[in-house]
Amino acid sequence: MDTLQKLEILSDAAKYDVSCSSSGSSRPNTQGGIGNAAKAGICHSFTEDGRCISLLKILFTNYCIYDCAYCVNRRSNDVPRAGFTVKEVVDMTINFYRRNYIEGLFLSSGIVKNADHTMEQLINIAKHLRISHKFNGYIHLKAIPGASKELIREAGLYADRLSVNIEIPTEANLKMLAPDKNYSSVIAPMRWIKNGIDEYQEERRKSHRIPLFTPAGQSTQLIIGATPDSDRQILSLASSLYRHSDLKRVYYSGYNPVNLKDNRLPVLEKPPLKRENRLYQSDWLLRFYEFTVDEIVNETHPYLDQELDPKLSYALRNPHLFPIDVNKADYHLLLRIPGVGVKSAKMIVMARQHRNLNSDNLTKMGVTMKRARYFLTCNELPSPSVQDFKPEFMRMLLTANIRKKGIPDALQMKLSL
Amino acid sequence: MNSIEYRYDGTFQGFLCAVFDIYSRRDDPVAIHPTEVPSLLFTDKYTVITNAERAERVWDGIVRTGGEKTGEHIYHAFLSCEKNVEILLMRYLRHLFLCKRPVMDDLAYPDVLKVFQLYRTVSREAHRILMFLRFEQSADGVYFAPFAPKYDVLPLTLNHFKSRFASQSWIIYDTARNYGFYYDLQTVERITINEPAFNRETGKLARNAEHPDENQWQALWQIYFKKTAIAERKNLLLQQNFMPKRFWKYLTEKRAIV
Repeated sequence: MDTLQKLEILSDAAKYDVSCSSSGSSRPNTQGGIGNAAKAGICHSFTEDGRCISLLKILFTNYCIYDCAYCVNRRSNDVPRAGFTVKEVVDMTINFYRRNYIEGLFLSSGIVKNADHTMEQLINIAKHLRISHKFNGYIHLKAIPGASKELIREAGLYADRLSVNIEIPTEANLKMLAPDKNYSSVIAPMRWIKNGIDEYQEERRKSHRIPLFTPAGQSTQLIIGATPDSDRQILSLASSLYRHSDLKRVYYSGYNPVNLKDNRLPVLEKPPLKRENRLYQSDWLLRFYEFTVDEIVNETHPYLDQELDPKLSYALRNPHLFPIDVNKADYHLLLRIPGVGVKSAKMIVMARQHRNLNSDNLTKMGVTMKRARYFLTCNELPSPSVQDFKPEFMRMLLTANIRKKGIPDALQMKLSL
Repeated sequence: MNSIEYRYDGTFQGFLCAVFDIYSRRDDPVAIHPTEVPSLLFTDKYTVITNAERAERVWDGIVRTGGEKTGEHIYHAFLSCEKNVEILLMRYLRHLFLCKRPVMDDLAYPDVLKVFQLYRTVSREAHRILMFLRFEQSADGVYFAPFAPKYDVLPLTLNHFKSRFASQSWIIYDTARNYGFYYDLQTVERITINEPAFNRETGKLARNAEHPDENQWQALWQIYFKKTAIAERKNLLLQQNFMPKRFWKYLTEKRAIV
């Protein structure tokens, strides 16, 4: 089999891992070396599904000893199998990089022989790139669940980012769908990576000459809609990962029906894109808008509203907090206004030091007044606010406003940031 | 007194000298135009003489009063070549020098907002070069990349490419403005190619000017591009939003299968 045929199989097999980010690392180039990492990450292309391509995302091999029901590469699935040689992966990465196709490599693999053996293969490639080829572009390696602590720590010396995919948001459902896996085999490498990063930062305070350790941190992925886990369960898990394990990103991957024969899995016609989009919006609220999980979903509302974005639906559940005066309220409150994003909130804080802002100013700064007008007051005569309408009417007003032809998962763009 | 029109050579340095002259002559021109723009009727003309030292003095004044970031806003907004951008920048600078402190935060002030928006637009275009530029290796080993950005922003990207691709020699060429930069593993120099071995429209190298291995890498990249998409999630509108069609002619992955 030639490289082209292998690439066909092994990129196809890797595509369901949605992580595409190349951000978070500013690894510099070295004398006679190739490449560097751009702190903010750079997208290089966009596929027909509108997702960004930043890294060459491939599996080393799609042979796998595991039989996880939700995975296209499961042992029992009848798909063509292939495996790259080290040289093939290295040459492809370097040559794609030199042509400005990619920021670097995202390498994962099916499990061959055992977890340690597989992890060794991935490390070996990263080592070749870093040492033999002085490659300083971005490398994202999969940390294989069940691999030893020593190997995970070694991987961290070559990778910019490591990720362990949790995939299924609750342990019981993971057990059901992936009998070869368990939560502790996933959580352990996460902890080792976190400890490695903590130790690195500690050492770094003493000396600037110590080698980097996973400078772009770690991420994980949750599959959405393969199991009956609620949005509340999903977001609670994500939030605790951000808070306790310092994860840089949690990715949500709407389950693509890759296994139609297994009755443990739901029958879906299409991946649940809208739900996935709402989860990403909630994730943004957690990370950049200072929301807590309970403010987004709770016992009475364990699922996200599909019709309204989570910030808008929070505002409608809490009309007593509005309208907010943009000329006085502090930054944290500005972030609560639907239609005001992080960028515009920062602009408002800067601009109002010089003069009071009116609605025209706000529009020009990028505030979506169509939505925001019911939730704020500015340097103008007050207009009707959320307090003046019945909730049902308010809801109708806002859903009618939503652009019908819109882009369902426009937030995907931000996967790269 | 008649209204006065300033004429300058179209360079940023020239513009800074116009600012210098406006202050020293106490003028209030109705327009500041590059010499290639037809002049207005019924105005007196004043031609600016570009002088590096004066430009430097104005630049220092901008950076001293507004900080580095203000300088960046002004320079990027200038590169937008938007109609009458010089007069807009002149008003901005008067405001800056009158306030004697940075004004870039004052986003409810129309001129400040406009300059900020132009800065953002131009910076975005420069970033798109980092995203969508594609090199082809030529027969003599040099990596060649054509591009035609909307604004004249190629120079803003040179540091990025120089540090990233330090160990390969490359040419980045603006096919619309017909100039580019050549990096020979030591320094970057400005060049003009008179008899190109590439297609003037798409920048594609002629087959005989390509490195023998080039075809193979392009074929691999095209397969990757196709295979990494998820058919069930197809969304061409979203793709085009992120990757506007005007860039497609340079993209290896969007060219006809080799």
